[in-house]
Amino acid sequence: MKAKLSVLAGAGTLVGGGAVWLAAHQPPGRPTEPGPVLTLLVGASLLGCGLASWRARPENRLGQIMVLTGFAWFAAQLIEASAPWLNTIGLAVQSVWIIGLVYLLLSFPSGRLRDRLDRVLITSGVALGVGLQLLAMLYGNKAGLHCPGCANNLLQVVNDNHKARGWINLRNLLAIPLIVTVIAVLIRRWLQASAAQQRAVAPVLVAGCATLAALTSTVVLDLFGDPLGALPANVYLTLMATVPVAVLFVFLQRRLARGMVAGLVVELGGPSSSTDLREALARALGDPSLELAFWFPAEECYVDGDGGVVKLPDEDSGRRSTLVERDGQPIAALLHDPVLEHNAELVSSVCAAASLALENERLQAELRARLVELQASRARLVEATDTERRRIERDLHDGTQQRLVSIAMSLGLLETKLPGQAEAARPLVRETREALALALAELRELTHGINPPLLAERGLPAALDELCRRAALPTHLDLALDRRLPDQIESAAYFTASEALTNAAKHSHGSEVRVVASYDGHNLTVKVADDGIGGATTAAGSGLRGLADRVEALGGRFTVSSPPGRGTTLRAEIPCA
Amino acid sequence: MRVALADDAVILREGLSRLLEEAGFDVVGLAADAEALLELVECTRPDVAIIDIRMPPTHTDEGLRAAKVIRERWPAIGILVLSQHVNARYALELLSAGTDGVGYLLKERVSDLDELASSVNRVGNGGSVLDPAVVGELVGRRRQADNPLEHLTDREREVLALIAEGRSNRAIAERLFVTEHTIEKHIKSIFGALGLTQSTDDHRRVLAVITYLGSQ
Repeated sequence: MKAKLSVLAGAGTLVGGGAVWLAAHQPPGRPTEPGPVLTLLVGASLLGCGLASWRARPENRLGQIMVLTGFAWFAAQLIEASAPWLNTIGLAVQSVWIIGLVYLLLSFPSGRLRDRLDRVLITSGVALGVGLQLLAMLYGNKAGLHCPGCANNLLQVVNDNHKARGWINLRNLLAIPLIVTVIAVLIRRWLQASAAQQRAVAPVLVAGCATLAALTSTVVLDLFGDPLGALPANVYLTLMATVPVAVLFVFLQRRLARGMVAGLVVELGGPSSSTDLREALARALGDPSLELAFWFPAEECYVDGDGGVVKLPDEDSGRRSTLVERDGQPIAALLHDPVLEHNAELVSSVCAAASLALENERLQAELRARLVELQASRARLVEATDTERRRIERDLHDGTQQRLVSIAMSLGLLETKLPGQAEAARPLVRETREALALALAELRELTHGINPPLLAERGLPAALDELCRRAALPTHLDLALDRRLPDQIESAAYFTASEALTNAAKHSHGSEVRVVASYDGHNLTVKVADDGIGGATTAAGSGLRGLADRVEALGGRFTVSSPPGRGTTLRAEIPCA
Repeated sequence: MRVALADDAVILREGLSRLLEEAGFDVVGLAADAEALLELVECTRPDVAIIDIRMPPTHTDEGLRAAKVIRERWPAIGILVLSQHVNARYALELLSAGTDGVGYLLKERVSDLDELASSVNRVGNGGSVLDPAVVGELVGRRRQADNPLEHLTDREREVLALIAEGRSNRAIAERLFVTEHTIEKHIKSIFGALGLTQSTDDHRRVLAVITYLGSQ
């Protein structure tokens, strides 16, 4: 890095010396301005400030742009050389440094063009400054190119000075609106910036706009035959020399960084709560690749906005991370481009400015992750309940029920073995057997309610069909479902219908119930409607609340419409992802 | 009468076997799952196979499926399926293909030895048995108001249920303390009301009634 800058400095000194010598030994008939003093002043300013900026802010391209513009400036002085090929090069690149200046001003302070308009302006500048100049050189020579004392133009193909002058005049004419547009863009941008940013970039803006304005008036006066002589050109070239100084000044002052941070603070404190924190930080740091990761203390890991775990980059990964702390506790990590390491001060002030917003964002990310976890835990709870139901039913079936049946059998056997004289005991045994049968019947109802075997074995359509046939009120079933769905969804739908039918029989005083179950490829919808007195609620403690919980735990929606006197309609919609 | 028995619960298998022997049946073998039952039936060709619906490995309706296999391969063997649940759908599945020599009984019925013996005998002799709880559920279902079942008298509904249970005219008459002639009159009236064609064949009669009840 240092070696590269030294080589460039050496080359610049040599090239600059040559250019100044050329300016001091102008052959007659060549353009008189700039003289040796201005040649040196502008060139040294561009190269010197460019190299210094490059060194101070290596990640920012403005330093490189200034150095290149400096070389282009010296190259333009080849117009004073006597050798025809050098002279031709000088003519061809005469306006390149002006394009460099415009690029510098438009891309300040990031070193990158901001939008389409910027790119259109630069492209137009190249078309005018290089394209039309080369076109003119195909036709004209010496006086035709406004340089009567120049050496022979080696690019000339057709000898038509008249045409060449036409192209050059067209170039100058079009350059005026172009430069005025650039000035307008710069001023508008300045007006839109925050007050802190305005202060920070003011020196560059003033120097740049003054230079461009002076350049415009020079071109305009040129069209009128230079009534003021060399004066306007000397003014704008002198102003030109101040632009790189202003850039370097802003860089070194670090006022830019502070302005950026101030802008960030204003933006984060602004009324729009939806400000994208990452975008804002990326802008303030000039690193579009910036990523944010938030510290989750419970899990002791960094997590991105979507809840994914983030591994911090190590030394060789081509990325760097900066940790943000607040009151000694880690909040977040910024994952960024390694060039930002050269500007640790900016990064740390941005982190300090944004720590509150980052903490806020971290809490939100944590909340989002907790909600996802909560939903998952609700679903697990329902699943656990279902599993437990199945286990209880199974235990009752395999254990208690079998044992009771076997006792009943023994009693039956005992009854046949009672000797004749024990006839009196017979009714007692029969009674016991009947009580046992009653207990078994009740147990059967209980296990059926806990986990209807038909649901597990034949699926929802069969179970609903059976449920409706057994219902206490005449029930009509409308079924648009031809496949098995996941167990917990079938269970939720079944128990919704079952509870609704029980409620209808107990409370609705209705005469008929209609059950609809349909699957549209995404959602299973179960609707149970009676024609009773209405007035059902999902208030806490009601059976409907339990159903709503169950359906909502599966990400579904549960609604009850029960206007007094107009029946009750219960609807569960469950997504089947 | 030779009987094969399949139930995965040891106490029931052994207890039932004792009960059946007590009642004078010849228990030719016991099986703990459907596969073993099919082998047993293959070797011993019993007159009746008594099968628990819920058996390993899935503990769902293995017994029912085994019953269908036996019915297909050895149509002469009577089948009595035992269930812990009142599952009208399974009962109808079993009986709707033909009621001769088929029965569906709740497990707890086995405590009444006389009833058990009569059920096994009926199935073994080509008759049918449907548990009163299942029939009660089928007959008692709440249907739309204009259903013909709603217009039957209580006595007619009683007779209908006993037909569905698989009982003969004589058995029904005995149970209700009336003459067979009265029962025949009831049956004529019931079949007329339900729009069923009356048949002298008992099997067809039961089938018609069960199909009717199941379809409503």
